[in-house]
Amino acid sequence: MNRFSHIAFLLVAGCILSAGCGKTPSASYRLNMVEATKQRLTTEQEQQVATVLLAMFGTPDDPVALPEFGLDEAKLRLASGPVRSDIVGRKNGLYREHCAHCHGVTGDGMGPTAAFLNPYPRDYRPGVFKFKSTERADKPTHADLLRILRNGIAGTSMPSFALLSEPQIDALAEYVKYLSIRGETELALMRAYFELDDDAKGILPETREFLVDETASPIAEKWKSATAAQIAVPDMPADIDLTASIAKGKELFYGDKANCVKCHGVTGLGDGQANDYDDWNKSIVEINKEIKGGLAKAGETSTSGMSADEAAEHRKQVAWLGKFSHVVDGDALAPRTIPPRNLRLGVYRGGRRPLDLYYRIHAGINGAPMPAAKGTVPPEDIWHIVNYIRSLPYEFDGELGADRPMVARDRF
Amino acid sequence: MKRAFAGIVVSGVVACIGCGPTRVVAPGADAEAAGRIRATLVSASSAGGAAEAAESATGTGWGTLKGRFTFAGAVPQPKPLVVDKDTEVCSMGGMKLLDRSLLVDPSSKGLANVVVFARKTGRVKTAAAETPLVFDQKSCEFISPVFAARVGQVVDVRNSDPIGHNTNIAGSSFNQLIPAGQGTAYKPDAETGMPTMVTCNIHPWMKAYAVFRKDGYVAVSGPDGSFTIPDLPAGETIEFQVWHERSGGPNGAVGLEKPDLKWTPKGRFQVKLEPDEVKDLGTLEVPAGAVGG
Repeated sequence: MNRFSHIAFLLVAGCILSAGCGKTPSASYRLNMVEATKQRLTTEQEQQVATVLLAMFGTPDDPVALPEFGLDEAKLRLASGPVRSDIVGRKNGLYREHCAHCHGVTGDGMGPTAAFLNPYPRDYRPGVFKFKSTERADKPTHADLLRILRNGIAGTSMPSFALLSEPQIDALAEYVKYLSIRGETELALMRAYFELDDDAKGILPETREFLVDETASPIAEKWKSATAAQIAVPDMPADIDLTASIAKGKELFYGDKANCVKCHGVTGLGDGQANDYDDWNKSIVEINKEIKGGLAKAGETSTSGMSADEAAEHRKQVAWLGKFSHVVDGDALAPRTIPPRNLRLGVYRGGRRPLDLYYRIHAGINGAPMPAAKGTVPPEDIWHIVNYIRSLPYEFDGELGADRPMVARDRF
Repeated sequence: MKRAFAGIVVSGVVACIGCGPTRVVAPGADAEAAGRIRATLVSASSAGGAAEAAESATGTGWGTLKGRFTFAGAVPQPKPLVVDKDTEVCSMGGMKLLDRSLLVDPSSKGLANVVVFARKTGRVKTAAAETPLVFDQKSCEFISPVFAARVGQVVDVRNSDPIGHNTNIAGSSFNQLIPAGQGTAYKPDAETGMPTMVTCNIHPWMKAYAVFRKDGYVAVSGPDGSFTIPDLPAGETIEFQVWHERSGGPNGAVGLEKPDLKWTPKGRFQVKLEPDEVKDLGTLEVPAGAVGG
């Protein structure tokens, strides 16, 4: 063997060695680094959040819940941990088998598959859910989560898990709630540092009063009260004349009262206001703007005229912007706009029952730009809009006239 | 031969290293400390609760805090916004909507829309706000760029335009359709902490900020930069928080060099008032760089 082959051999051997063959480390929750950096937390503060979360929620292999959270630990155990069978041969680790590759072990919507999906998988940590039977500000009911798990979400990568048994689906819904309460508590803790008085020296109190009564319990309470927050839907008038109702719905759709046309477009194809973001993506867009603007400004600023203190402050700010940019690269997906739904496809993400469409129009879609019509549009008008929307996929598209969109062939 | 082999080796090494985005190291938990915290959390008796008696609110009487923010730098010209929809209403008669994020009065150099609020007070003079607050939009612009309301106060969200809008208050789950010429009532149910953004999704250039406080001790500086907070409890040290939309400080906090007021980089200062005192902080100069001027 000549010298070159030796080097090549060493390189390959080194590579194999560095990959190693040891045990895979156990799964761990990842800290919300985007929020931690946004709140300018120190390493000690980040560590305190991680420690408090471990105390309150345990680990992905061994989740725990305080009695105040109203979660069933037996269900959490069934859903959590690595995929395995328990002593009676029952499958455990359902979340990691079915959900984690998209929604992530932490429930941050950043599993390994997430970046390849459109729309991105839900990040449970802000505690915001779109498709539910409750008012906009309220959490979904347990039954809402079960329905999504059973039916999937049409038009997205979320499949139906109807082949799982009822107790399995039930356990997964409970685990989603657990991850969401955990993530929302984490956000609340990170934001609490800014609200601290100066004499607290940047350390959160580790008392039951602060951690449970003030921080986590109010979040868990909202989940418990979800069933009571369900929207009361008046029945569609039994003697309704469908043709007249559709005509009335069309008038409302294009009118100044319901204003659907502004976003869903004159064609109903979702081609109105189409460059908006949902809340999850918008927060990253805002952060990117802040970083870009801050770095551009820092580039123009010369430190020569500054006092030593000011110059130090300036360097600190530039270092923070650089770190933030790095964190966002690794801990957030590239922001995507949210196009308004194309209403001519007959695909409804939150469910295709008339009742589902009523919920969407009444309360809007939490986390999305879709506003609530409740209060300003009376219930019977909402039913007219529902009827019109349900007729749209079957409307003869010649009726669009001049507004008919150009087909691709004619554009070039 | 040699070359092909080298190619394989190099690509093997590269494949080993991978090319995904590198993630920063997230600090881990301290398992021992977590065990200790857990023990205190599961002990059902909340024994430690009453250990610290509530701060005795000893003072009597009420005082007023005043001041005026000015902008230290060349007066900036507000830039026109990009208005590309509903132009028959939003750009009526060639009218241009302006970016109102940094409004400086050319004659007095007053800095408008600085928010000042008390972080916590021992006593509150009026328990709740009686009058509703009108938050209107006209010509595709929120009339008040920054507004303050009390928790539980009725905010009458109005639309004086002949076209529809929606009003979306970030962090509150309030996102309501407001038809032309109509309005809807909103009751803030929680404090915002720092002001939160209000937008219209139909017209993306529309932006305002809202701040909701329980005690109502909050002011927004006027066009000349002045603000007044009346009826503050006297005889106790009150910490105030200062915010501006364009501030580069944490969460928009405005930090000033004012050691006499114990002004911190988190944008907080302290004041103690005597009964019936009207304390004037005078001119508070905000450096141009602090608000991105």
